[in-house]
Amino acid sequence: MSASPSFRDGLLAAVPTLRAFAVSLAKNADRADDLVQETLVKAWDKQDSFQPGTNLKAWLFTILRNEFYSQMRKRRREVEDSDGSITARLSIHPAQDGTSDLNDFRRALELLPEDQREAIILIGASGFSYEEAAEICGCAVGTIKSRVSRARSRLQEILAISGESDFGPDPVTAQVTNSAAVL
Amino acid sequence: MTRMFKDVGQDIDDGKGMTYQKLDKGRSDSKRNSAADPMGPNSEIGRKLRQYYDELISEEVPDRFSQLLNQLQQQEQQGSTAKED
Repeated sequence: MSASPSFRDGLLAAVPTLRAFAVSLAKNADRADDLVQETLVKAWDKQDSFQPGTNLKAWLFTILRNEFYSQMRKRRREVEDSDGSITARLSIHPAQDGTSDLNDFRRALELLPEDQREAIILIGASGFSYEEAAEICGCAVGTIKSRVSRARSRLQEILAISGESDFGPDPVTAQVTNSAAVL
Repeated sequence: MTRMFKDVGQDIDDGKGMTYQKLDKGRSDSKRNSAADPMGPNSEIGRKLRQYYDELISEEVPDRFSQLLNQLQQQEQQGSTAKED
């Protein structure tokens, strides 16, 4: 079966939300765009396995998420890395003119473990139901619920803390250390 | 499930990004008094989360993605004519 123009259009229309999800996962705009590109190529190759009329967005999110985790596993194997690089990556942000309030929030989000971050993004921002999020993440609905709730209380905790100090690399580092201890 | 899936698919076709807002609205209407929505319609975290995501979604999309899709489509068309020859 050859590609209908609407499949291509569907992919293109999903790019903004795919990028947003990818940035949330990868914490880095360049890596996020690579992820989206890889997702589009994979989706194109697998388009026969997509059932028209079902949720294209959820299908694409699933592909992107799988790609993210397989890249991450690869990286971890390649670079049994020092803590240093992780901390350095945390302080890299795409150039954006958000309010400092929003920057604080972005930073707090980045401190969450991946599974909690993706859960709260899928449910609280991308607009998926618990069932859909569970399908995307390949886990039980209850697991998603508990990740979201842990993410939420963790964010409240971090944001309460971050109000007290300036946001330079130091408080971030401190929070990384804290989060490692708490989680 | 199927119905939800279809709804979301249509949202994507609406184009510009804002898909989750529509979904959120539906959700807060139907579950306003329920604790089932962990963010809660008025929660600070929920509001910031959507603001954060909204900003990402509204970023300009680089051309590389539409170029990539055009390329993939062309390759496929060339591939199928090559087979017919």
